Amino acid sequence: MNTIPPFDTELLRRYDVPGPRYTSYPTAPQFDTSFGEAEFREHARRSNADPIPRRLSLYLHIPYCFSPCFYCGCTRIITRDFGRSGPYLERLLREAEEVSRLFDRDREVIQLHLGGGTPNFLRPAQIADLIDGLGRQFHFSRSALRDFSIEIDPRLIQPGDIAAYAEVGLNRASLGVQDFDPAVQQAVNRIQSVEQTLATIEDCRRAGFRSINVDLIYGLPKQTLEGFAKTLDTVLAARPDRLAVYGYAHLPDLFKAQRQIVADDLPDPETKLKLLGLAIEKLSAAGYRYIGMDHFALPEDDLARAQEAGDLHRNFMGYTTHADCDLVGLGMSAISHVGDSFSQNARDLPSWENALDQGKLPTWRGMTLDRDDVLRGEIIQQLMCQGEIDIATIEDRYEIEFESYFEDSLRKLPKLVADGLARVEPTRIVATSRGRLLLRMIAMCFDRYLTQAADARANRPRYSRVI
Amino acid sequence: MKNPPKRPNPIADDGDEFRFCSTCAFSAACLESGYGKPELRELHVLVEHIGPFKEGEHIFREGDEFNAIAAVRGGTVKTYVNDAEGREQVQGFFLPGEVIGLSAISQGRYPCNAVALDTVILCNFSFPTMAALAARLPGLQAQLFRLLSQDIGKAALLAGNYSADERMAAFLISLSRRYAARGFSPTRFQLTMTRTDIANYLRLAAESVSRVFRRFQDDKLIRVDRRDIELLDVKRLEVLARSVLRE
Repeated sequence: MNTIPPFDTELLRRYDVPGPRYTSYPTAPQFDTSFGEAEFREHARRSNADPIPRRLSLYLHIPYCFSPCFYCGCTRIITRDFGRSGPYLERLLREAEEVSRLFDRDREVIQLHLGGGTPNFLRPAQIADLIDGLGRQFHFSRSALRDFSIEIDPRLIQPGDIAAYAEVGLNRASLGVQDFDPAVQQAVNRIQSVEQTLATIEDCRRAGFRSINVDLIYGLPKQTLEGFAKTLDTVLAARPDRLAVYGYAHLPDLFKAQRQIVADDLPDPETKLKLLGLAIEKLSAAGYRYIGMDHFALPEDDLARAQEAGDLHRNFMGYTTHADCDLVGLGMSAISHVGDSFSQNARDLPSWENALDQGKLPTWRGMTLDRDDVLRGEIIQQLMCQGEIDIATIEDRYEIEFESYFEDSLRKLPKLVADGLARVEPTRIVATSRGRLLLRMIAMCFDRYLTQAADARANRPRYSRVI
Repeated sequence: MKNPPKRPNPIADDGDEFRFCSTCAFSAACLESGYGKPELRELHVLVEHIGPFKEGEHIFREGDEFNAIAAVRGGTVKTYVNDAEGREQVQGFFLPGEVIGLSAISQGRYPCNAVALDTVILCNFSFPTMAALAARLPGLQAQLFRLLSQDIGKAALLAGNYSADERMAAFLISLSRRYAARGFSPTRFQLTMTRTDIANYLRLAAESVSRVFRRFQDDKLIRVDRRDIELLDVKRLEVLARSVLRE
């Protein structure tokens, strides 16, 4: 499913309904506070018991940002006081130490990601301390294929910073850009020059990073086709290895920062779709491959190769080449996926700090997956990563009869089949090239909780629109 | 169903008055010896289903008074002793249909601890009554002796100077044969014991256990998915296991 899918405005308009992004299944709204520290510890203990325990993937949440971007839905703290990072890091390392004890020493860390917030709110020396500390607590893989990545706000990058990141072992970067159009930048409160962005990309290249990603957003206030075309041209000229093109989800009830955005400034649905169409057209012409959901990559990038080999996976950090890691999230609001469980840390700073200061783990909520959750999770993974469900593999692994087990789900498919989004074959269910931009729609058919909650939550949008 | 179940049911069926639970350690003895209804009923009366024991719960501890032989009806039981330094030494794993506590017969007390590795249900046979009954039913007595000698053989299985690969192959082949004997799939089963328990039992380090599993997987001998094991090449595993199993 590597080539970029065709674009069909009418179809996309019809399917512009709210839906989860499936960075996990079940999705975070299903997590429950009856799951706490004890449960997390128990799942960690069990995860060591497998004959070949999974490798580890560490996520570190750095919540601070020096200025609020109005579109943002992340959990973050706006401050200009750079001194706040010291105490945060001190507690983060304490959390890491406590959590590292739960995992057997031979469990390699193959993936590490600094996310936020703004990870480079931290100075390079602080990042070095953090990585060094983690390296003492956990067993870092020495493989060249390890993914140690950082999300970067180019506005805070100073000369020498990127080289310093490379020095401590970071080898991937993801840069926030969104749009270079000055009117858009003004409307979302993120003024970022082309020069500082390109200089950061250049620094990453010089530092030998394996892969550079750029995030763009379509559907932002004041966005126009002309302006976004220019942004795309500028970004594509720099040829990042990966591109994420997210649709802006305007949910001001859920995300306070978005209340700063004037709804009238948002592009109408027609324009929003054209913006996506434009991005797809330009990326396609520039030789990028479609990975799935909002992600694109150059053919020689690890992601595109992994997809070809059927070795692609998806977790809270997006797409990854590292299969079946236990994901350990550290820091306020961070999510973990250990064994058959999901869990999330306290989402506000005082609760996270208090837990750690009392010698407790800051687990706030989570859930233990049952066999049905695991099974549906795998189906959604297959869809998101390979664009199809392999019925025989699922039947064999879970000892079910697919047709009867998923009777309800399969009943929802004919509509998608009639619209040319999916094809049902005896051995597999395939997202057609038309359906690949709408993978979420197919995945939603297999989401048990959506059906259950459909009535209960009818009035409250919890998910962004599909497009 | 085309294939036998991959994973043993947590609980074997209940049986009826002529036939014990399908996994029962004694059912073969009774049926093969052609016992009639009255004898079977007599034996059935001795049986008491106990449990469920939760994961980690002890069934008996070293030094407890011995009064019953127990057959595993569902789940897996681990037996172990603590050495002078307090370190655990795993002695064996008992699958559905297998009998625990036989080594206690001579002493009158259990010489080891038994703990449930998952949800365990047992069939308890009162030993004094069974001994009396065995005197009348030669088939039962023969079966008791058979079980006793198997127990001894199992303990000796992994003593000796064998490589990590040989030990692991023997362990997997042994599990495969034991599951097959109870009508479960010989090539696909779930490892109910932890990596640490396997390591302890095979006298290897936990990391070595994973290394061997990974090597076997790379060599296409097995496939590992979390705790699910599939034996892909039983012949080659048997060759590897031959010296340990003394075949």
